[in-house]
Amino acid sequence: MEHKDIPWRISPEELELARESMRYCLEAGASQVRVTLNKSMMDLFTILNGELDKVTHSGDRSLSFNIFADGRYGAFSTNRLEAGQLRDFVAEAVRTVRMLAPDPCRRLPDPARKATDASTGLEAGLLDSEYADMDAARRLDIALKASAFASIRAEGYTLVSEEMEYSDSIYDNYVIDSDGLECRHIETSFEIGCETTVQDSNGDRYSGYWWESCPRFAELPLEGCCTKALERAVAQMGPRGHEGGRCNMVVENEVASRLVNPLLKALNGFALQQQNSFLLDSLGKQLFPEGFSIVDRPRAVGKNGARWFDSEGTATRDMDIIRDGKVATYFINTYMSGKMEMEPTIEDSVRASILPYSRDGKTKPGTGAAELMEMMGEGILVTGFNGGNCNGATGDFSFGIEGFAFSGGRPAYPVRGMVITGNMMELWNSLAAAGDDPRPGMNKSIPSLAFENVDFSA
Amino acid sequence: MINTESYYTELFSTGREEMEKLLATALEKGGDYADLYFENTSYRDLMLRDGAVSSGGFHVDFGVGIRVLKGEKTGYAYSESTGMSAMTEAARAASAISAGCAGESEARQTFAFHAKPSPLADRYPMLQDWRGCQADAFVPFLMKLEETIRRRDHRVVKVLAMLSTSVSDVMMYNSHGELKYETRPMGVVATSVVFSQNGRIKNNQCNRSFRMGAEMLSDALLEEIASRVTANMDDRFAASRPKGGTMPVVMGAGPSGILLHEAMGHSFEADFNRKGQSIFSEKMGQKICAENITIVDDATIRGNRGALNFDDEGVPGQRTCMVENGILTSYLHDRVSAGWYGVRPTGNGRRESFRYNPIPRMRATYMESGDSRPEDIIASVKKGIYVDEFTNGQVKIGEGDFTFYVNNGYLIEDGKLTRPITDINIMGNGPQALADIVAVGNDSKVDNGAWTCGKCQSVPVMCGMPTVLVSNLTVGGDN
Repeated sequence: MEHKDIPWRISPEELELARESMRYCLEAGASQVRVTLNKSMMDLFTILNGELDKVTHSGDRSLSFNIFADGRYGAFSTNRLEAGQLRDFVAEAVRTVRMLAPDPCRRLPDPARKATDASTGLEAGLLDSEYADMDAARRLDIALKASAFASIRAEGYTLVSEEMEYSDSIYDNYVIDSDGLECRHIETSFEIGCETTVQDSNGDRYSGYWWESCPRFAELPLEGCCTKALERAVAQMGPRGHEGGRCNMVVENEVASRLVNPLLKALNGFALQQQNSFLLDSLGKQLFPEGFSIVDRPRAVGKNGARWFDSEGTATRDMDIIRDGKVATYFINTYMSGKMEMEPTIEDSVRASILPYSRDGKTKPGTGAAELMEMMGEGILVTGFNGGNCNGATGDFSFGIEGFAFSGGRPAYPVRGMVITGNMMELWNSLAAAGDDPRPGMNKSIPSLAFENVDFSA
Repeated sequence: MINTESYYTELFSTGREEMEKLLATALEKGGDYADLYFENTSYRDLMLRDGAVSSGGFHVDFGVGIRVLKGEKTGYAYSESTGMSAMTEAARAASAISAGCAGESEARQTFAFHAKPSPLADRYPMLQDWRGCQADAFVPFLMKLEETIRRRDHRVVKVLAMLSTSVSDVMMYNSHGELKYETRPMGVVATSVVFSQNGRIKNNQCNRSFRMGAEMLSDALLEEIASRVTANMDDRFAASRPKGGTMPVVMGAGPSGILLHEAMGHSFEADFNRKGQSIFSEKMGQKICAENITIVDDATIRGNRGALNFDDEGVPGQRTCMVENGILTSYLHDRVSAGWYGVRPTGNGRRESFRYNPIPRMRATYMESGDSRPEDIIASVKKGIYVDEFTNGQVKIGEGDFTFYVNNGYLIEDGKLTRPITDINIMGNGPQALADIVAVGNDSKVDNGAWTCGKCQSVPVMCGMPTVLVSNLTVGGDN
């Protein structure tokens, strides 16, 4: 694929600088080295109430070193890339590594596991050549046109503020190691986000947020983002008290990943090795409902979050995380592989996806929050989480939520100030259905979810 | 620590003449004000895992941020090089704000702070510079910490212990001709411990942080961390969830300051108020809580994680009384919001690094002592909960709805602490919660945990509180 002269990509001189700095490390006494060169640029325009409020331009460039010496290990980074500075920097880094305790589990990944098919950085299909055509005037024009402030006709409420941002960025990542690894990943990103605050006649305030993100500018839905944020704010007006107790819960695709993250974290080798996971000794066990699956699809060309390799340079691949309710994978990098005496997999999920699911095995294509509410009849639709936590060792959680009570399969009135409490394993075993509506623009592909018998406090 | 002016100008290879040229470039399209923020930060970390200090490293972050203001509008760019051509390019990028704003901005009153940084007034002199210490000097501290933790409780199965330090040289210069410079240290000792009893797993964490040099690593600190991370483990294994609902909550002295930070502090930050987004936007000068409540945001506590000699706009660090005897008396201002409100900036203009423009942020935020005895406050509650260990605070500024997560606490039944409780989220509304504080203890305490506020950028903060009784908060729990 041909690309225009896109600004702020890693130059041939910078690639050579990374290689040269690896040689510095080896000359200073390192036995193995991994060097990562990151370069990124971002421009952000903020529009407050229809007028330009802030312009930000940022450009970053840094080198990171994972240094192995005498059976010891350390991690270092710097954004001072002058050759003389670098040579001194890595010499001190190697000296520091030698002061640490030996750890036989620290080593570079097995060469057979490394990515060999990511040499250009374009493999993931995430570089948009239109990025080269962006300049300050065009960005300002895009941002001003995306604002809905001038067209809002407030009826039944007062518009307090509309704050929207347009940003675009490029990220170029180059990883090499002393065993011959060489891989690269380049991506552009275009984003728009808006937060709107309104006030009712009692002086009570409500805010709504919406955002869109895409690796290609042409696919970024510029229109409608600010209108959606306003709609979400206005929809929350007039919340009613809702009694606590156990009831059905539908979680909108926009926020559903909040409930998936604790599962993925509990399957990570770092948590497992420290026995700080509620999924200890879970591999291969039927711990979730039959038919329920979470898979990783890292190599989806052109999709947000696609990656051909992890930070060690290990090649990503499609894999099952949970398959038909059985735990199929732990996320184990090279270090944890040694510590846990298990085969390495990948350091973390890349693009975790929940497959459509329902207890009766019949999920219609395109099922979203509306269909799930219809299916569940009555309950609470969660459209936002407000704080909370999940105890990694036990899976016990408690989250603040906002959303709507629904009845007869349709939203009835907004609720506010409620808390859900439970245990992750119990929650996921009360899963009634997973929809088929993951939000484009997110790295994880998580649809709307429906649960039964969730504990709400008010 | 405050070095000589030449130490900083040489470090950044930029003298006053070059800085004047950069400001002229930044303002050439018509901005009202511009400033430069130079930073050279050295981060170091050491990790103990499985009984050995077997990983560590250091990281260097160097650059200059350039800001242009036109009225309240901000243009911001930075360079990772202090070569004139790179800095000039950044100055031109920041000046784009002036080109993008139509019309003239309204003239604002400005306040200048020309005093030279003085080592005599330094709030963090850093007796032992982290940068001058080799990694192996700290290994014995971490090893002893693990040994002490394991000695205190036989149920310990895993210990992670981490020392993270940073030292930042900063130099600032602005179009008022004010030059400020200093060196800011920070140290954090953090532990995460896993316990096992009869096949059940519990974890606990404790961290302590100071704006100090390596002199902070004392035996007393080690004992305090080991003691706290192993405290009350019998209760933690016995803990369960309370019945959820709305109930009185007694918040213990110290870390309960998270209530102030989330429920009130963010709403007092003047950028939200300037934009009309804060729920306290129209409350200045009004009574917002009981007369025995005074809330302060303070940069003057020596060695404290929230201490500042001056903020990231060169405004002197100070003690700002936000609520005095129940009356809202001040927002927290940076130069932008202060100009808009026509008041003096309060020294709250802070930033994560040279990569970010400063915005109003808290420092050490605490409530002053009242006159109630903590035991009397607990005794006054028929049925409720007592909490004093937290994580994960959050607030929705527009609505004022806040939450924080309680790691551990106790039920209160008939005025006595009874059953231990754990893992619950508490939720409330800021103005309402403030109005619902019905008792204030005489035991105000600033907590020295490694609190970090994440409002768009991460900055170190501190919080504190006396024991207080909030008559109504929503508590997550079983039904």
